[in-house]
Amino acid sequence: MSIMSKDKNYTVVEAPEGVAGHGFFATTLDKAVGLARKNSLWPLPFATSCCGIEFMATMGAHYDLGRFGAERLSFSPRQADLLMVMGTIAKKMAPVVQQIYEQMAEPRWVIAVGACASSGGVFDTYSVLQGIDKVVPVDVYVPGCPPRPEQIIDGFMKIQELVGNEPLRRRYSPEYKELLESYGIKIDK
Amino acid sequence: MEKIELLQELKSKFDRNIIAVDENADIYTLTISSVSVKPILSFLKEEKDYQFLTDLCGIHYPGREKELGVIYHLHNLVENKRLRIKTFVTKANPKVESVSQVFSAANWMERETFDFYGVDFVGHPNQKRILNVEYMDYFPMRKEYPLEDATRTDKDDKFFGR
Amino acid sequence: MKTTYSEHHLDLTKQDEQVYSTLNLGPTHPATHGIFQNILMMNGETIVDAEQTIGYIHRAFEKIAERRPYYQITTLTDRLNYCSSPINNIGWHLAVEKLLGVEPGKRVDYMRIIVMELARIADHLVCNSVIGVDSGALTGFVYLFEEREAIYEIYEELCGARLTTNLGRVGGFDRDFSPLAIQKIKALMKRIPKVLHEFENLLMRNRIFMDRTVSVGGLSAERALNYGFSGPNLRATGIDYDVRVMEPYCSYNDFEFIVPVGQSGDVYDRFCVRQTEMWESIKLINNALDNLPEGKFNTEVPAFFLPPKEDVYSKMEPLIAHFKMIMGEIDVPEKEIYKAVEAANGELGFYLVADGGRSPYRLHFRRPGFIYYQAFPEIIKGSSLSDAILTMSSMNVIAGELDA
Repeated sequence: MSIMSKDKNYTVVEAPEGVAGHGFFATTLDKAVGLARKNSLWPLPFATSCCGIEFMATMGAHYDLGRFGAERLSFSPRQADLLMVMGTIAKKMAPVVQQIYEQMAEPRWVIAVGACASSGGVFDTYSVLQGIDKVVPVDVYVPGCPPRPEQIIDGFMKIQELVGNEPLRRRYSPEYKELLESYGIKIDK
Repeated sequence: MEKIELLQELKSKFDRNIIAVDENADIYTLTISSVSVKPILSFLKEEKDYQFLTDLCGIHYPGREKELGVIYHLHNLVENKRLRIKTFVTKANPKVESVSQVFSAANWMERETFDFYGVDFVGHPNQKRILNVEYMDYFPMRKEYPLEDATRTDKDDKFFGR
Repeated sequence: MKTTYSEHHLDLTKQDEQVYSTLNLGPTHPATHGIFQNILMMNGETIVDAEQTIGYIHRAFEKIAERRPYYQITTLTDRLNYCSSPINNIGWHLAVEKLLGVEPGKRVDYMRIIVMELARIADHLVCNSVIGVDSGALTGFVYLFEEREAIYEIYEELCGARLTTNLGRVGGFDRDFSPLAIQKIKALMKRIPKVLHEFENLLMRNRIFMDRTVSVGGLSAERALNYGFSGPNLRATGIDYDVRVMEPYCSYNDFEFIVPVGQSGDVYDRFCVRQTEMWESIKLINNALDNLPEGKFNTEVPAFFLPPKEDVYSKMEPLIAHFKMIMGEIDVPEKEIYKAVEAANGELGFYLVADGGRSPYRLHFRRPGFIYYQAFPEIIKGSSLSDAILTMSSMNVIAGELDA
């Protein structure tokens, strides 16, 4: 079932499974919160190199990431949901990425845009970190050098899928704590 | 020709500090001794109008007695002439006097050459590593060091063919 | 007058240090377009001193280049100043051609001029719209990026990629301009003057913009020359040094174009110089397109052009030649050369030492951004933080070029 607009015949957003009736719609809290979160993600564009310019093109009027709810870019990690790491991360920069990730509040997601962020890319050298998943846990990897804006949007939509289906207790589970510990990331109590 | 005049003038002022001349390269190239770098560059800047330092880089020739080299490219914008100046030092004593007082552009370029090759620029105001991490203890652009990170443990040689 | 770094740094007493506050700008900061760090010592709102840290995206290009064959280094040059990759690619090809002693034909030259001027327009579009964004005017950014999309479409038609183009070959191009490419370039050249006029109406005589940018971030011509400035930043101070005019390459001397200069080297002058250069580039492209001579789109550089596939599959010599080229067994003279081109930011130089093997013995990139960013502490001393932000974005520092 989809939420239809009264006069026009188009879907605004896919509704989650639930019971609908005259004037009400019942679903689980997970799904309702997920629906709200996924359509209003505030990304932190951690743009380091060429992929950053493709991100600027994605935010532009032609490809428009804003229609997915990500119009408000947050450069402060305390106000961001999604850390978009775009570009090569050198070993000098790796502690900075981890510091930014630690400052973000739960729930937080990470998308590695580009070959350099996913795995070091073309640069198999002594100074480049071979993938940011060596310092932070990554949710979605977008390959490409640089990926086309359509690919970045595809990665963003996969993040939206993850966000929409995430159980509310996931961030308090022992597996998640173990995951963060394996990266050496401090958990705020 | 002006090049020969320039060479004669330099030779008369700096005598044996001019070690070699290469006229057949694309840019007139002089090889000078490492102690005379600052005087010669100052002379060229003040008297001969070579007031633009285009480039400063290092080079490593293992196998020679003087392995590390520093290469300066100067440009005379008034008469549109370029000049290349090379100087070589040994690995054991890689000291060259810094020209950052003469050309402010040389500041970071000398730091980069120090970072990559270990050439010690005497009198540089802030000789620290500029591009690599501070705790790095070797000079990566020297020929004996590999390109890849030797501490990587996740490479499967079956796929990488090494 | 303070001229060197050591005179820059003040002798601070304990008392001074308690008065001044330290502000960390970067490495991740919305205004620094790219990652580099500035630690500012501030006296209230005024900047007293700055210390810079770069190298956060050091990818060791020069070391990689010692391991790659000549045609694979083109992909490295893409990622230097990634806002205008074709200029870097073509500059590298020109350097290898200088090494080999190859002179391409006129058609190749004119095609290269068209591509390089398109890249120059693309880079200046980014820089000028970002100066607007940093002073609060976001509209110009959105308008100008549409034109950048049109330029991306042209690149796609020419070489397949949008941003990191890896365009052309040593000696020319791998294919001629298709009719669709020429049509797209002509359409863009018709449309872009209107957009540039609209952008200028928004900003150039805007009272708020002028108040924020005139007499901000200026540098005298002597200091700029001493710091090794080149490109629009140097021309804004009044010195008309343009590599296209000083050492013409690629048939630039067939064309008439103005080299715009400013007066005081402040942010407004840099903005206007870049704006005028875009107009000149449009003229150059139109001229080159109208007078595009007939001829081949590549040159006889046998070592870099693969033989046609039918020959490779049927005859012996093309097969051996193909194998040798792919394996990198190319005869290259043992020489050292220095080649400079006028990139969007200034003089981009390639110092190439070849030892006859498949890769260079030493390749050094003379990166304009690295050299003129050194002057930043001297420029912003005594100004306020908001002026420093505008100065940084007007100098067009691209992190890939800074760190290589």
